[in-house]
Amino acid sequence: MKNILDRNQNKADEVRRLLRMKNVVMVNLISSPGAGKTTLLERTCEELGSTFRMGIIEGDITTDRDAQRLKKYNIPIVVINTEGGCHLDSHSIFKVLGSFDLDNLDVLFVENVGNLICPSQFDLGETFKLAMISTAEGDDKPVKYPMIFREAKAVLLNKTDLIPYTNFSHSGFMEDLKKINDRIPVFEVSCTKGDGLGKWFEWIRAQIPQSGIRT
Amino acid sequence: MHELKIAQDLSAIVLEAAEKENLSKVTKVSISFGQLIQIVPDIFEFAFREAVRGTVSQDAELTIEIVPVKMRCNECRTDFEVKHSLFRCSFCGSTDLNILTGKELFVKSIEGE
Repeated sequence: MKNILDRNQNKADEVRRLLRMKNVVMVNLISSPGAGKTTLLERTCEELGSTFRMGIIEGDITTDRDAQRLKKYNIPIVVINTEGGCHLDSHSIFKVLGSFDLDNLDVLFVENVGNLICPSQFDLGETFKLAMISTAEGDDKPVKYPMIFREAKAVLLNKTDLIPYTNFSHSGFMEDLKKINDRIPVFEVSCTKGDGLGKWFEWIRAQIPQSGIRT
Repeated sequence: MHELKIAQDLSAIVLEAAEKENLSKVTKVSISFGQLIQIVPDIFEFAFREAVRGTVSQDAELTIEIVPVKMRCNECRTDFEVKHSLFRCSFCGSTDLNILTGKELFVKSIEGE
């Protein structure tokens, strides 16, 4: 029996081998549209930009608006417009890796196209996936989209400052998430207000090999 | 709509097989999808029809088997079927599990003449 996604998987394996050789951590950031991926990257660039050599791949169906927001941090950014496609695949990632100086990079964040289903099926060759959800989307996302919460290395729960204005049940969310993946770390943050970001920064720092000690 | 990309990859696999086996017409394609892949069969059928249009597979019958999610508990070694996204051992309650089935995306068979 032949796996239909073999072509994507083979390329993803190639990406992974290349990044491992260059000692670059690639983070595949997945969420619904509007959950706060770009704002998280803004805060993360501000905090880590001076310690780590960062790069960003912006996956967008169309436009470079997210990339425009991140330009001010003066780090290499490449936009992949999927022109209607609902996810990035390993071939598109491999193609743009050549635009980065991988010998001078510690971490590469991939902002996937906003979508909780499709991106979780396509291995990009990332070091790990990160799932983000915002409180305004409702607390039922883990049970509705179990695959991404099963595969991610950590979950960011964003827009915690909006909880009083929504019907988001914090205990319901945590209970459902634990049914799917009870060991996964959860960072409760408000990327616009800055709440809870300290723990996220601490965690993400620990995932990246320290700049300058690479061999 | 990951269905379309997967249908395109499937179409390429079928065409490659048809060429290798010298088929002038593909009559049947059987595939199996794990439940975790979250493929909607109707949408996939539609996407497949678009992907194979104008090729030797354009009249092929498509059979889709959906494989349920089965897991093995790493604590008590029991195998069980997952229902309602409850990723927890139904015998001992452990969440230390390995996915046995449910992530399939396989071409089972291709028939033609």
